[in-house]
Amino acid sequence: MEVENIQRRYRARTGIRRRAAREVEAVRGLSFEVERGELFGLLGPNGAGKTTTIKMLITLLLPSGGSARVLGHDVVREAREVRRHVGYVFGGDRGLYERLSGLDNLRYFAELYAVPAREQRQRIGELVELVGLQGRERERVEGYSRGMRQRLHIARGLLHRPEVLFLDEPSIGIDPVGARELRTTVARLVELGTTVLLTTHYMFEADELCDRIAVIAAGEIVAQGTPQELKRGVVEGRVVEVEVFGDAQSVLDDVRALAGVTSVSVEERGQAQLVVVRSDAGAEVTSSVLAALAGQRLGRVATREPTLEDAYVELVNRP
Amino acid sequence: MTSSVRIFFLGGLTSYRALFSWLSPWVLVPTFVLGPIFQILFFAYVGRSAGVGSDSFFLIGNAVQYASIPCLFAMGNTIDGERYSHTLGLLLVSPARRTPLFLGRALPVIVNGFVVSLFALVVGAVVLGVKLPLASLPLLAFVVAVSAFACTGLGLVTAALALRVRETATLSNLVFGMLLIFCGVNVPLSALPGWMAAVAGWLPLTHGIAAARELAAGAPFSAVARTVGAEAGVGAIYLVIGLVLLRFLEIESRRRATLELA
Amino acid sequence: MSVLRLLGLGWWLQLKMRSRSAFDGALAIVYPLFFATSVFLIYRQSASSTALVAAAVGASVMGVWSAVATTASTSLQNERRQGTLELLVGAPRPFALIVVPITLSMATIGLYSLVATLVWGRLVFGIEVSFVHPLTFALACVVTALGVAVMGFVLAVSAVRYRSAWALGSALELPIWLTCGFLVPLSILPDWVRPVSWLVPVTWGVSAIKAAALGGQPWPGIAMCLGVAAGYALLGTLLARRMVDSARTHATLALT
Repeated sequence: MEVENIQRRYRARTGIRRRAAREVEAVRGLSFEVERGELFGLLGPNGAGKTTTIKMLITLLLPSGGSARVLGHDVVREAREVRRHVGYVFGGDRGLYERLSGLDNLRYFAELYAVPAREQRQRIGELVELVGLQGRERERVEGYSRGMRQRLHIARGLLHRPEVLFLDEPSIGIDPVGARELRTTVARLVELGTTVLLTTHYMFEADELCDRIAVIAAGEIVAQGTPQELKRGVVEGRVVEVEVFGDAQSVLDDVRALAGVTSVSVEERGQAQLVVVRSDAGAEVTSSVLAALAGQRLGRVATREPTLEDAYVELVNRP
Repeated sequence: MTSSVRIFFLGGLTSYRALFSWLSPWVLVPTFVLGPIFQILFFAYVGRSAGVGSDSFFLIGNAVQYASIPCLFAMGNTIDGERYSHTLGLLLVSPARRTPLFLGRALPVIVNGFVVSLFALVVGAVVLGVKLPLASLPLLAFVVAVSAFACTGLGLVTAALALRVRETATLSNLVFGMLLIFCGVNVPLSALPGWMAAVAGWLPLTHGIAAARELAAGAPFSAVARTVGAEAGVGAIYLVIGLVLLRFLEIESRRRATLELA
Repeated sequence: MSVLRLLGLGWWLQLKMRSRSAFDGALAIVYPLFFATSVFLIYRQSASSTALVAAAVGASVMGVWSAVATTASTSLQNERRQGTLELLVGAPRPFALIVVPITLSMATIGLYSLVATLVWGRLVFGIEVSFVHPLTFALACVVTALGVAVMGFVLAVSAVRYRSAWALGSALELPIWLTCGFLVPLSILPDWVRPVSWLVPVTWGVSAIKAAALGGQPWPGIAMCLGVAAGYALLGTLLARRMVDSARTHATLALT
């Protein structure tokens, strides 16, 4: 899969009376390549352009500029060829016929994806087993749990044995056990030779699964590489975490201004707030951070190695 | 007192605009302009090909009956739409008085029904070439307004049932169909089986349509005053039933937790 | 062969879905009955009993059109709301072959309504239709349903960008009843209406159904219904292609 400087602009409408149209650049020239059999991750905050990028690659959206080829087929000119070979699974519980059974949903989409009639029964049976829906496949989808729906989605996306599978935030809204099963399924698919492009918010998911990752923010790639490279390349320093009881927001700017500090973020942890301070390699900031936070009631203080999540926060927050 | 008045006018109007999102021309024109005209034309032409009735008969019957589309659907929507957007619960826990609250919602609906009906009557008359006596127009308008009021009363009952039945639109469609058959819209009451004519007497629109036909034929208002009074009376009865039903269902649904079914 | 499977399975599963919404399904049958009943009540006052029988046949077809008119215009919006529209467009099959079974299933529900209206007329109003050519009548009904399904297909793809499409669909119900010879002979309509009616498949379907039930020549109507419907199918296919292209440009496939 080769993506070259792909772009997408939307016309956004604001207001109902005066339809002021304004152009929004959702994707501003992304370029990346995914090798066959690779699991490639697209990471980025909401609205970064992940879904838009995927939709251009599976021919649902036309790019406003640039070009992309999937398995050697151009996504604009050879749309039907592309559609034949790619599968698309998105997260959430939409995209299924509620009033039909899981089996009927699969039969319908098997027909839409032109799975040959004599293979259908066997293929559907295999997939029902793969995603662990056996025994429930004749029930209507309206009675399915979120996790079951998501697994049915995956079975649907695999019906025509796609060579490239696009997974758009597949683990959204499913419980941790379901999410782990999902990761196992995805890993198995990659072992069998499927190329996978995955978008996700969950760092550990990307860390565990992806061969390579591109982090995008505001429609642009801000970093690209293996999870290891990203961790190393971006955050070479250390991370200091301080639990603060009270109003940490008021002193954040002071902490940010300290020499050697590269970024600061705050997470809610029950009654406390966790102030996460990332610093340059070699800079020893723990004592100056504590000095800046003096006057606050502090809890646990810890320093640790950076994780992929730190890399990610660092990347998307960069000015 | 003043707060009741405010709830009546402001609350009514805002909820109407918010829930009854029919204010786009893409809905207004097909539903409120083309809809009634084609219903009038359809039955007038069926009458012509059957050799029964007169254009004026079908014009008045269908123009007045079409008021039930806004009256039933808009009223039903005010309740059903709230449940969709999960605001019904918020509304019912508010301390606002129920009677002005719901009556306030009825007022714009009545106006809507009145305008649609009157418009259909005038345009339909032009299209079919029916001559309505000019002098009768103000009185006809009055009768149409009373009919729209009576029909909105029935709409409030439907809206109340919406708290229990989920398919409000389906219910409104059924009620619309019943009114079409029973109220002497396309067939004089005398040509209906006795039991149907008896039921018709207790439905909104029946008396309104009869009075409008007499006025169009040149009768003075004094001749139809009793019929118009009957229409208003029927409307008032439904309005009261609707309010009582709303109150009852509100208490019921709090007890049985059927408020937020969605 | 595989196209027929796609159409067949799509039709069958869509019909399954539609029949499972008891309330909507029942309304599709009951609503035209209100109008049919009004029509019977009108005709009952006229002296001619043959006119009443002809009205019963004409009125029975009304439901076929209303079943499609009221639902076809919103069908693709419903797919969009469910999140399935993207999957349908993203499939390698031509979009037209995916939409036609949807409207065909609606027309099939309309055939229930056709039977229900005839039964209602028989039981409540004692109207006995003699069915001069029963088999041809059945065929004419199926062909009419097909013609109406193709009309629904054109409606579905042209209304996809139109937010209040339901209002458009409902508003088309009565004009077609009025102008396509269901109950009102084309000869008493204004002259300019006639050529327009001839361009609508259901006009020919209704005339074939009437001829088969009451005596006359059903075959020309059947042939014309199929012919005009083929023209609509072509038109719809072109529209569908444009719709998909425009949706890919303007990003209107997803709801979010």
